[in-house]
Amino acid sequence: MANLWDLIILDPMINGLVALSSLLPEEVEFGLAIIILTVVVRLILLPLNMRQLHSTKALQDMQPKLQELQKKYARNKQKLQQEIMKIYKEAGVNPAGCIWPMLIQFPIWIALYQSIIKVLATAPENLLDLSRHLYSWQIVNQTIPLNSHFLWLDLGAQGDFVLAILVGGTMWVQQKMTTAPSPNPKQQSTSSMMLLMMPLMFGMFSLMFPTGLPLFWLVSNVIGIVTQYVIGGGWGYLKSSSAT
Amino acid sequence: MTLYLKCVVMRIKVLIPLGIFCLLTLSLSGCIGGQTKPLGLSGVTSSDGILYLGSMDGKIMAVNSSVPSRAEWTFAYAMPSTGICGSSSVPAIIYGIPAVADNMICIGIYGGKVLMVNSLARSQNLVFPQLKNGEWEYPRTGDVLKPIVGSPVLTNATVYVCSSDGRVYALDMSYGDEKWRSDPLDDKLWTTSVVDGDVIYVSTFDGHIYTLSTEDGSLLPWVFEAEVGFVSSPVLYKNTVFVGSFDHNLYAVKIGGDKPLWKFSGSNWFWAAPVVGDDVVYAGCLDGKLYAVNAETGGELWEFDTRAFVERDRIVSSPILVDDLIVVACDSGEIYTLDANNGKLVDKVSIDASIQGAICVQGGIVYVRAQDNCLYAVDISQGKIDWKFLLAIE
Repeated sequence: MANLWDLIILDPMINGLVALSSLLPEEVEFGLAIIILTVVVRLILLPLNMRQLHSTKALQDMQPKLQELQKKYARNKQKLQQEIMKIYKEAGVNPAGCIWPMLIQFPIWIALYQSIIKVLATAPENLLDLSRHLYSWQIVNQTIPLNSHFLWLDLGAQGDFVLAILVGGTMWVQQKMTTAPSPNPKQQSTSSMMLLMMPLMFGMFSLMFPTGLPLFWLVSNVIGIVTQYVIGGGWGYLKSSSAT
Repeated sequence: MTLYLKCVVMRIKVLIPLGIFCLLTLSLSGCIGGQTKPLGLSGVTSSDGILYLGSMDGKIMAVNSSVPSRAEWTFAYAMPSTGICGSSSVPAIIYGIPAVADNMICIGIYGGKVLMVNSLARSQNLVFPQLKNGEWEYPRTGDVLKPIVGSPVLTNATVYVCSSDGRVYALDMSYGDEKWRSDPLDDKLWTTSVVDGDVIYVSTFDGHIYTLSTEDGSLLPWVFEAEVGFVSSPVLYKNTVFVGSFDHNLYAVKIGGDKPLWKFSGSNWFWAAPVVGDDVVYAGCLDGKLYAVNAETGGELWEFDTRAFVERDRIVSSPILVDDLIVVACDSGEIYTLDANNGKLVDKVSIDASIQGAICVQGGIVYVRAQDNCLYAVDISQGKIDWKFLLAIE
């Protein structure tokens, strides 16, 4: 299974990353390669992402209708469910549609994580392991080892606080744009806590992993924000919450 | 609650535990980033019947090869570590081979320290460092260098060691005082330098062979520049430097030359430093083959393919020459004894544990520190394991 994963997903991604680095200026080769590959992967996954965002948007647009139904059938849950499903069917929306595209993207992100860390080869064992994944392409073998410096970062080192804050901050913004405020205070506090948890977690992970990985998260978040802005037509719930 | 909100909360509720679960699982299995925790690939060296090595749990050890039931002495060195959860100490990680001079043993630690220990003081388990016994650590303060991967070289009362800050350091062997440090030669130096007379030869990941003065660490005029990086430590033989590169080639470079004397191609990196004897270069490759190459011409004399015995095997540690035999240890744990003249298999032994550190030979016995944290004595003349010593129990 691991061999299949390496053969089909991981090795092409690692070699693609190294080959891409070889085409870029040496001073910024790996940092820029991470950014470009993240953008490319995001573009490839754009149809899935769009579907996810459209599902979310469609659900958002249905809110007045659904609230009306909830009032109308407040005492008849079964009927309420039937009516809701009917509306979904008419609009061609699947409530789980916002989850599945994200789950499908997960293996790709894991492969990208792995590629970045493997190529960074921060310890001798990692470098030794990298040799198993590289193709015998001249372009690849002439590029190894990569220059791990990018802007103020050493992509192979850990613990850059600025980057950790940027990762956490952009993740929060991205989530905030799609999380609707709840009229119920209890649910609102749960929702707010959830909204903070992921950015905090990833902020912490950013301190624990070589900075090449947080750089990828940061770029990914920024692209997510831009996509959300364009498709969602603005800052979404980020703007409405700051207005209140 | 609206359905939209339900969906969003459900999404967060699903994704958070899922994310945590996946990250933790993958982190624990060591594959979130495909990152392996540094464990150390320290090899063994011998002097006067005593074997010196670094264990995988951070100990520098001396084992009497004729009394392998217990270690002569053990010195556990811990490095201070500061993490998100506060300060603690972690066992040292050791990659290099200890360098021995009389009863002094020098080793570089991945955490960025160079240690000089005295056999006598260590056998009495005295507090480290015993300055009067010539023990020291460098840097002396709480400071550390960048990780040290290569082995120290002891010569002319000086310790020469390469660090991941790209510099070569020269330290006084008696007191550990810094004599000089070179300018940065590369991003990181993971190799072991070669000292010949008053010249130090250093190969770098960015494809240079530098020559430095032993006097003050200044760069000497001859620098060789290749188009690709060098992965192995250099070896000097008859005015020629032999070194493995990332482009699957073994380079031979005449000192003073600006072009390689020859290049010999394998199918993967020549990770381990080659050995040279009687004008023949013996180079182990990560493609699983041991190549014998004419040192003058670069022509192949013979090759031995370990993958004929173990699929996907590779040679990580340097082979060793013992008279007319060459012994090569593989990542799979197979140890092959070959006729150095023709590469014919004489014998093979399996120790069922990965071998990545340097091996050494003494009195016809090969000593191996394997990645199962055990020290093995292998009798190559009889093709059997003499004894196995578990390093973790000491």
